[in-house]
Amino acid sequence: MSVVDTATQAARTIAEKPRRARRPGLVRSATAVAVLVGIVILWQIGTMAAGQRFFPTPLEIIENTPGVLFQTGAGNDAAPFFADVLPSLARMAAGFLGGTVAGVLLGAFLGWFGPARDYAAPITEFLRSVPATAVLPIFIMLLGIGSNMQILFISWGVMWFVLINTTAAVAEIHPTVLDMTKTFRIPKAKVLLRIVLPAASPKIFAGMRIGLTAAMILFVTSEFMGATNGIGYQLIVTQSRFQVLDMWSWMLVIAVAGFLANTILEAIEARVLRWHTASRRK
Amino acid sequence: MQTVTTATQAMAAVAAKPKRSPKVRRGVIGVVVLAAILEAVPRLGIVDQAFLPPLSAVLAKLGVELINPEFLLATFDTLLTWFLGMAIATVIAIPLGTLLGLSDFTYRVSRAAIDLIRPIPPIALIPLLILVLGQTLEMKLALVVFAVVWPILFNTISGVRDVDPQLVQMAQSFQHTRMQAIRRIVLPSAAPFMATGVRIASSIALIVVVTVEMIAGGDSGLGAYIAEARAIGTDVPKIFSGTLMTGVLGLIINSIIGAIESRVFSWNERKAS
Repeated sequence: MSVVDTATQAARTIAEKPRRARRPGLVRSATAVAVLVGIVILWQIGTMAAGQRFFPTPLEIIENTPGVLFQTGAGNDAAPFFADVLPSLARMAAGFLGGTVAGVLLGAFLGWFGPARDYAAPITEFLRSVPATAVLPIFIMLLGIGSNMQILFISWGVMWFVLINTTAAVAEIHPTVLDMTKTFRIPKAKVLLRIVLPAASPKIFAGMRIGLTAAMILFVTSEFMGATNGIGYQLIVTQSRFQVLDMWSWMLVIAVAGFLANTILEAIEARVLRWHTASRRK
Repeated sequence: MQTVTTATQAMAAVAAKPKRSPKVRRGVIGVVVLAAILEAVPRLGIVDQAFLPPLSAVLAKLGVELINPEFLLATFDTLLTWFLGMAIATVIAIPLGTLLGLSDFTYRVSRAAIDLIRPIPPIALIPLLILVLGQTLEMKLALVVFAVVWPILFNTISGVRDVDPQLVQMAQSFQHTRMQAIRRIVLPSAAPFMATGVRIASSIALIVVVTVEMIAGGDSGLGAYIAEARAIGTDVPKIFSGTLMTGVLGLIINSIIGAIESRVFSWNERKAS
């Protein structure tokens, strides 16, 4: 049975090699581009057929966007790209990183020390259940409106997703492994960096992926309610002025930002977890 | 070997029983310590009580609100929007995901489409939806469904792709029709992935419901309750008690979904992320 299996596998590997293994990334990107073009064409036809004033065609939106991003004058000294887009993305990135670091450190601590986990369990269980945006009014009240408040708010929301996954993953590490590091007198810091965190990394990345979804929601929400610049702020301003086309341009900017952030995280994950995907495939 | 394992398990079970009580005791201690800090910090003036009321004041407020019909209605509205949004999204995403995951071509195309659309934060659609649908329940539902259909769809497709093809071949060699093979092999085998999708979606759904209520709720739901309390600004414990209540809702939802998941899928070791 086993021999047959191995033989079948070997045969399959040989058979598949010329077809699949050549450039899977290229095939994927080509599909993505084809699908994107397809979506835009359908969208264009749909909006042209409907002729609704709230739904401009994608070509109009794309044409309008550079003007929205780089025009100066009429009240704004700096182009919105520098005054709104970059600050927004910087706050999102800072909040996401802050939340990830806090989540990994706290999660590793709680995962490693069982008693600490017991003390904290009801608290973490409750706090992670509070929908992050419901906490925004409290953040605004305690810290006022501004970038620092927004960064802390995003960190808070991201932290719970990372913390829960890190705690679970570290607690799952087999005690024998940790006992062995004691026997060999490996310093704790080294154990953390070389054994505990790598073992937990697949789950940490899973938490980070949900955390990124949350970070996108939180940065836009925080700019709806507690900011004087940013992509979300511009979005709500253009809506209140009924500048529908400009509003769509800002939505496009958010979509592109979300896509880029996701792609970057996926690339980092693929690189860091190369060993894991390789061992899984067998 | 077998006996040893059983013996070890039995010992572990015996050992685990008295262990449960320190766990509960420690949890209670943790909560009490945190409560004491949250009471002391504002009382000692470390943070101004006007911004951070003592815990006792917040709990007293929550106690009063729990018999206030307006507050209960707001809680019910939030829960209803959450439930309807989740139900609609699940009914759309699970059959669609199963269908798309079955063939190689639809898998690749739908996967690419999802990768493009999923990163768009649903909240960014609120201004548009207000223009088109107004501040209505339909608007909220449209937003929640858009937000949570992707995680469920994505996990369903992955689950269907993950089914062992040999099992499907075996079913076919036992004269199962394609429908039977899907029902008996594909769906049960993909179910844990679907459940993971629903679990992730449920916490995102609650975030989205509360957010849309805060920004465009009009006068329904806990989000609107919190936003209104903040706009008035004089009754700070009211803001905190609203937030606390959303946490209670989240906790209930998480516990129910977690309990269902671990009961239904206790046989399953594979977990999607």
